[in-house]
Amino acid sequence: MMKSNFAVAVAMTASVWVGGIARGAEAAPDPATDSEKAALRKTVQTCGTCHGVNGRSVSPTFPNLAAQQAPYIELQLKAFKDQSRADPDAQAYMWGMAAQLSDATIAALAGYFAAQPAAPARGGTSVLIDQGKNLFEEGVPARQIPPCASCHGAHAEGLANFPRLAGQHAPYLLKQLLVIQSVLRTAPVMHGVIKDLTKDQMQAVVAYLASL
Amino acid sequence: MMTRIRRSWSCRMFLQLIGLALCVGVTTPGWAVPSFARQTGMACAACHTVFPELTPFGREFKLNGYVLDNIKQVTGIDTADRQTLALNTLPPISLMAQISYTHTKSALPDTAISGAVAKDGDLLFPQQVSLFYAGKIADGLGAFIQLTYDGVGDSFGFDNTDIRYAHHWLFGGSNDNGHSLIVGVTLNNNPTVQDVWNTTPAWGVPFSASSVAPSAITSAKIDSGAGGFGQNVGGLGAYLWLDDHFYAEITDYTSAIRGGAHPLDSTQSNVVSGSAPYWRLAYEQRWDRNSLSVGAFGLNASLHPGLVGTTNTALSGVTDKFRDIAGDVQYQFIGEDHLVTGLATYIHERQTLNASVLDGFAANLHNSLKTLKLTGEYYYQRKIGGTVGYFSTTGTTDGVLYAPAPLTGSASNGPDTNGYLLEVNYLPWLNTKLQAQYIGYEKFNGQKTNYDGSGRNASANNTMYLLVWLNF
Repeated sequence: MMKSNFAVAVAMTASVWVGGIARGAEAAPDPATDSEKAALRKTVQTCGTCHGVNGRSVSPTFPNLAAQQAPYIELQLKAFKDQSRADPDAQAYMWGMAAQLSDATIAALAGYFAAQPAAPARGGTSVLIDQGKNLFEEGVPARQIPPCASCHGAHAEGLANFPRLAGQHAPYLLKQLLVIQSVLRTAPVMHGVIKDLTKDQMQAVVAYLASL
Repeated sequence: MMTRIRRSWSCRMFLQLIGLALCVGVTTPGWAVPSFARQTGMACAACHTVFPELTPFGREFKLNGYVLDNIKQVTGIDTADRQTLALNTLPPISLMAQISYTHTKSALPDTAISGAVAKDGDLLFPQQVSLFYAGKIADGLGAFIQLTYDGVGDSFGFDNTDIRYAHHWLFGGSNDNGHSLIVGVTLNNNPTVQDVWNTTPAWGVPFSASSVAPSAITSAKIDSGAGGFGQNVGGLGAYLWLDDHFYAEITDYTSAIRGGAHPLDSTQSNVVSGSAPYWRLAYEQRWDRNSLSVGAFGLNASLHPGLVGTTNTALSGVTDKFRDIAGDVQYQFIGEDHLVTGLATYIHERQTLNASVLDGFAANLHNSLKTLKLTGEYYYQRKIGGTVGYFSTTGTTDGVLYAPAPLTGSASNGPDTNGYLLEVNYLPWLNTKLQAQYIGYEKFNGQKTNYDGSGRNASANNTMYLLVWLNF
């Protein structure tokens, strides 16, 4: 009984796979050769274990990569590889994962994830989100904190080396603000910008960004 | 270690023998092996909440064949550009050491002098030292092979092994309609050693326990561990893991008893007649920082009793049949600071003891065993945490199978055993665990008081266990 069910399941999934592989190939970027295409596919599978093959992760420990700025992904992968990004999760997860990536693979991965559609906005309204929106758009002039939007874009879509923040997991963003503020993660522009940002303000701005 | 025990206690009942074997070998913990960390370049926390319990990523790593590598490879290709070799430049070797101290509430009987008692408290230095080859062998092919020195038996032997090949497909693109499928083959020597949830016996709670404290008179076949099916069978199986949700596996086992007469004959115990199929289904859902899995598994085995005590029975004719069916639920919350796990396992075993009844090793043709294990764990920052557990086995009374005997027998002819487990763990480093464990019994081998017919109470077997557990 079990054996026949198992065989049917294998046969069904195999037939779906045969039909689907061609469609899958269309969605990928265009590396030069078949072997590069296969290598990228395999690498995407590995990244997808935590980040989601579509660049949308389940656990907020791991950031969404869908629609992220390609230059930013590339910059970060290189920083993991040369170990210049050294916050705790970077060391625990990404130093190893990026260690053997070639520049070409890094560029291909960045292109792949940047091309994935972002998750639909979660939306929502709350006092916290409103505070965060205000902070994102206006900054905190009294404490000389500039608007986040001035670098990350009016809709937090990012620009080149400035990452997309829209739709990112709030706990991930909060953790990044904390490790950048404590200089466990080096981010020269951000150190000055957020040095006086309070944890309450961080929580407001990440709640807003996660809602986008 | 078996020899010591056989000298002192009656071993006429073959299931009782297994119970004795469990006394000295129920836990052979592994995993959490640093060679995986060396191979992947990732910290233990990627694959483990706290070793040896697996995270969702750890489950994926295992299901993919232990092959994820991020270190330089020795490679080879043929003229068609097909890969013929992909070998880690560092061999995936690890060591595990356990040093433990066991103290039972009442001292155990002396093994040679009737009425005398053994030394109160036992230090094992080591309880166990294991050498692992754990990691990639080739593209898609990986292994977890454990060789263990056992401090009680003063012997070095083959331990848990799982060699597997897996292939991962993505199909339907990376959009929301896309699918992921891993199909794998496993060759292993312990039913459930290949499993990725911590609700199945091979890697279930307690992750480590005393190897000298008494344990219950019997357990279900699927739960029999070392001394039972563990490392005494070999199985070949296939599994699939679809969309990070659905798991299905069939593995077929047969006896692969180490040592003794080969080919297997009447001097070996519990020899599988034909093969023993194991099956497993599970469904896992992940959301935010949570994962919940619900599953079922089972084993059907026909056994020739073979050697029971000092009686040899031929490996022919009728057999004893065991049908185990189990259900399990696992919940994990993996936060930045707080980690919570809930584990539940229920096993029902139906025994049809044609051979044992014929040979006078059991009274009843049909017996049943029901085992329940419930566990809750909490850790703060993977550094300090604890476990609270409840366990219970109930079953049919059988005047021959469960006979009275000092310490290990049952005056009431019953296997009923239940109690609780309390554990505090401190991990100064991710690969080092300092553990204090207490197991308390409300009932042991059928009764609360004078369970063995020699005046010993269940609570006399309450066990304090202190452990230093190193992986490097």
